[in-house]
Amino acid sequence: MTRGFLMFAHNNDEIDYLKLAVVNAMLIKKNCDIHNITVVTNQASYDYTVDVLGIDVVNNAISNIIITEKDKKFKTANQRIYKDTNHKTTPLSFYNKDRADAYELSPYDETILIDADYLILSNALNNCWGHNNEFMMNWKYEDIMTEREDPTLRRLDPTGITMYWATVVYFKKGNFAQQFFSTVQHVRNNREYYQSVYKWPGNLYRNDYSFSIAAHMLSGFQDKAIAQLPLPTLYKTFDTDDVHSAPALNEIIFYLEKPKSLGDFMICKWKGVDIHVMNKWAINRISNQLMEHVA
Amino acid sequence: MYMSSKLTKALEFANYRTTLNVQHNNLKAKVQTLLNYSINGGTFEISQTLISFVKTLIDQGNSQAVLLDIYTNPIQVELEIFLEEITSRYFEATNEYHVEYTKLRKSRKVHKLIDIDPDD
Repeated sequence: MTRGFLMFAHNNDEIDYLKLAVVNAMLIKKNCDIHNITVVTNQASYDYTVDVLGIDVVNNAISNIIITEKDKKFKTANQRIYKDTNHKTTPLSFYNKDRADAYELSPYDETILIDADYLILSNALNNCWGHNNEFMMNWKYEDIMTEREDPTLRRLDPTGITMYWATVVYFKKGNFAQQFFSTVQHVRNNREYYQSVYKWPGNLYRNDYSFSIAAHMLSGFQDKAIAQLPLPTLYKTFDTDDVHSAPALNEIIFYLEKPKSLGDFMICKWKGVDIHVMNKWAINRISNQLMEHVA
Repeated sequence: MYMSSKLTKALEFANYRTTLNVQHNNLKAKVQTLLNYSINGGTFEISQTLISFVKTLIDQGNSQAVLLDIYTNPIQVELEIFLEEITSRYFEATNEYHVEYTKLRKSRKVHKLIDIDPDD
């Protein structure tokens, strides 16, 4: 039974996602002692990041790199607003199309599919391996400053279905997982229809939406029927937050934007719990520190 | 230089109680994570209740039992080994929590709560 982590990392004009994946791969090895790490990327991202970090660093961190072709039409059409705190907003390409192909792309019997920016600061995800639940992902999440609530992250629409987070997904190869990813691909390929039924906002394609719809459909149209990951919850920060430093292994000091005083920050040290860091620039600013601690 | 002035500003605005609360939440998150334990395809949340229940089963002469995990799936476990593991994990987590919590309670300034030098 092979076990491994899978990440997707397609750089855009400003965000070096593959560098984030390299850093995260190092954290996975250190904290989870899992050395099977596959990253799906494209040639341009690979060439850029190898140029920045060096081929040895990339190849030492990631055991298996899969190069795919980008769908240029999708890349141009799927633009989102990225924030480096509220002081800087930039529309950039958000290339997330091939995450729906994770089942076919994963070389492992058991896979933990994670976002490159879901930083692994503990071994908590090791609780997934060998699980009776063949497929697990979370709808439950918490912001690290609990008083900050964003209702758009709870449901696809105010009267719609519960939103699951495609940020972390555990699956074991088998009938259910195969059917699940086929359904996600079907939603992705028939986006207009599903948007009219499930009424998610805006024009952006998000895997959280297609995974949530697949979860709803394959649960017999019941709410919250997919098993949660064996974690207390998923923790996240916002893209309006910033990072001060990574003072030690598995420690990150954040600037958290105050909910009632936008543009002002409070400071917080997060330690030993995996965290989804939405501000990609911020992670890249401390990526060298993170790499030094795991080296 | 940019970070230094930003840090000073952040510290000025930081409310001690709010920071304390967030730091405490981090500790709770960490201890809850450490108290999740997977075995034989199931996951258990280690608690005083679980430890007592398993000990009761052992005292009644059972060596194996089927327990319901956090998903209410039935999981068969070897009770002695299971008890040893969950007790060890429980004390590892709570002892760490105690050390960190004591440190937090003694810290009366924001920069001490997060263990950072404001001049950095």
